[in-house]
Amino acid sequence: MAEKEISIIHPRPSSIVAALYTLRDLDVDVAILHGPPGCSFKHARLLEEDGIHVVTTGLDENGFVFGGHDKLVALINKSIELFNPRLIGVVGTCASMIIGEEMHEAVLEANPDIPVIEVEVHAGYHNNTKGVLFALESALDAGIIDRKEFERQEHLLKKATEVEKRAGAASKEYLAPSRGDVKYTVAKRIFELLQEGKRGLVIMNAKKETGYMFADITLAVNEAAKALGKEANIVNMANVDDSLGLPRVRQHAENIMKGFKEHGVEIREIIGGMDEYPIAGELVSELIKEKYPDYDFAVITGVPHALPMECLRGMELISVTNGPRQVLPLKEMGHEHVVVEIDLHPKTLGVSKIVNSELGDTLREIIKENL
Amino acid sequence: MKKQKIIAIYGKGGIGKSSTASNMAAACAEIGYKVMIIGCDPKSDSSITLLGGRRIPTILDLLREGLDVREEDVVFEGYAGVKCVEAGGPEPGIGCAGRGIIVAVQKLKSISSDLLKEQDLIIYDVPGDIVCGGFVAPIRKGFVNEAYVLTSGEYMPMYAANNICKGFSKIGMPLSGVICNSRNASREEELVSKFAEEIGSKLMAFIPKSQTVQDCERDGFSVMEKAPDSDIAEVYRKLGKAIMENEERVLPKPLDDERLRELTR
Ligand SMILES: Nc1ncnc2c1ncn2[C@@H]1O[C@H](COP(=O)(O)OP(=O)(O)OP(=O)(O)O)[C@@H](O)[C@H]1O
Ligand SMILES: [Mg+2]
Repeated sequence: MAEKEISIIHPRPSSIVAALYTLRDLDVDVAILHGPPGCSFKHARLLEEDGIHVVTTGLDENGFVFGGHDKLVALINKSIELFNPRLIGVVGTCASMIIGEEMHEAVLEANPDIPVIEVEVHAGYHNNTKGVLFALESALDAGIIDRKEFERQEHLLKKATEVEKRAGAASKEYLAPSRGDVKYTVAKRIFELLQEGKRGLVIMNAKKETGYMFADITLAVNEAAKALGKEANIVNMANVDDSLGLPRVRQHAENIMKGFKEHGVEIREIIGGMDEYPIAGELVSELIKEKYPDYDFAVITGVPHALPMECLRGMELISVTNGPRQVLPLKEMGHEHVVVEIDLHPKTLGVSKIVNSELGDTLREIIKENL
Repeated sequence: MKKQKIIAIYGKGGIGKSSTASNMAAACAEIGYKVMIIGCDPKSDSSITLLGGRRIPTILDLLREGLDVREEDVVFEGYAGVKCVEAGGPEPGIGCAGRGIIVAVQKLKSISSDLLKEQDLIIYDVPGDIVCGGFVAPIRKGFVNEAYVLTSGEYMPMYAANNICKGFSKIGMPLSGVICNSRNASREEELVSKFAEEIGSKLMAFIPKSQTVQDCERDGFSVMEKAPDSDIAEVYRKLGKAIMENEERVLPKPLDDERLRELTR
């Protein structure tokens, strides 16, 4: 028997949205939501910024009662006409799934000559990774990804769910959102540590495109070290292996790596691909144990709660997250300083270069003040 | 204020709810009551025998067309002045009939509130068992003030009736009586009467199985219109009176499976 799910009462992303982001990673040109107008609006909007078209059948009360088959057929055809896509996704919603809509029939009737990834998903799953899984299964069926990549993704999802349950947004029935510690204070502390000649690890363990901003913190810490002549005291790690993951995700790794190079920042340890944030902790543990056991502090960005505490003991921990609900769990784990880059995600959609972070910019100001 | 009866008849699919409802509606209208029947079945078969076999446009038909629905478009006068309305709904296997009932009933309420208030008796005719929230919408939304259960003396219909009573007790809807529609099972009247008593209610009427009902239905008529002098017409008249005079409302105590088995053995 499966373990009993705790009932989480704070807002969390839905599996429909998770499916939409996965379709984006699979490089669909259009995602069609089969459901009521407004469903998943906020993320649909963000995804448009990221370059994919999102449209909806806009099921109304009539649609609920009589079904929306014809509307879906018409919208598939219309999308093809409007956007001339190479690949499209069709995504279910609560309303259409509860009334038993057969999206496949609509796809058969529209009969487009491009592949369609059909995702029968609603928001009623405790783990929103279900949405990712369903999208990947359909992508496998449609021949968009191979079995090996599917199994790799499936494994990562399982691990991601474990991380969220252990120390993430699914770890408690209710987690209050928090803005975290004041950035000025934390940036100053980083500067002090460097000034005192302390040795530090700068670890970016970012989820996919969020890396575009977390990478900026790596840059800023390196700038500070350089300004203080302490470059030798820091070691950079990042999950920017560009040979792993779906095409779009590899592209992010390549772009970010390029950004590091342009700024003359050396990433000593590559700790995985940009979708490997849930498992990078294992490698990081080994590396620290073998090569960096006596470092004094660590700046950890992205998904800091995926790194096991055992390997970090004895270090002063500064973590940077984009989840306001991640502050409490991180503090409980023993991270001394937790910074939230609020609204990070929207700023990392539709970009291909590292973007400035608030913590990074604050640190840069402190460098200026002190030199 | 005049005391209005707004009733719904529940029972196993095909057990005779619609034919009982339409015949009873006709019987009450004949003696001067203002009666309305609201069909809440997507197959729209509640009022056919009151309209000489004719089908009327349904509320959902019109809503689907995007038309502005007015009272005169959906309320039709049938035999003896019975007002007939059909909610309508999707074809089998598509969409959500339950949601359809909710939408149609709310629409009717918004366009016909005066007409609804004028009636002495309103009958909501719902299909089969309670399978989802929409099918109890007339009750849950507080439109219905009396609920009846119709069953034969066969095991499965009684099982369904008992199950419906479970639903009623769960949502706190009292039961006003049990009606037996015979299918010529053995000791039928005795069994259903005992069942009614044990769940804390009473038997309102025993309607014998009669070829007349089916003959009239084939021609598109109620028994009251086509065979007013038949014995069965008299049964419906009596049932109508009994319901108009009924004051009883009890929260049913459904039987457990074992007891139901024992009872029907
Ligand atoms: N007392 C009776 N004698 C003979 N035939 C009857 C009697 N009552 C009902 N019937 C017949 O049984 C059939 C089913 O009846 P009806 O359509 O009223 O059932 P229902 O409970 O409304 O079904 P549904 O659950 O589909 O709405 C009809 O053909 C009807 O004529
Ligand atoms: Mg019926």
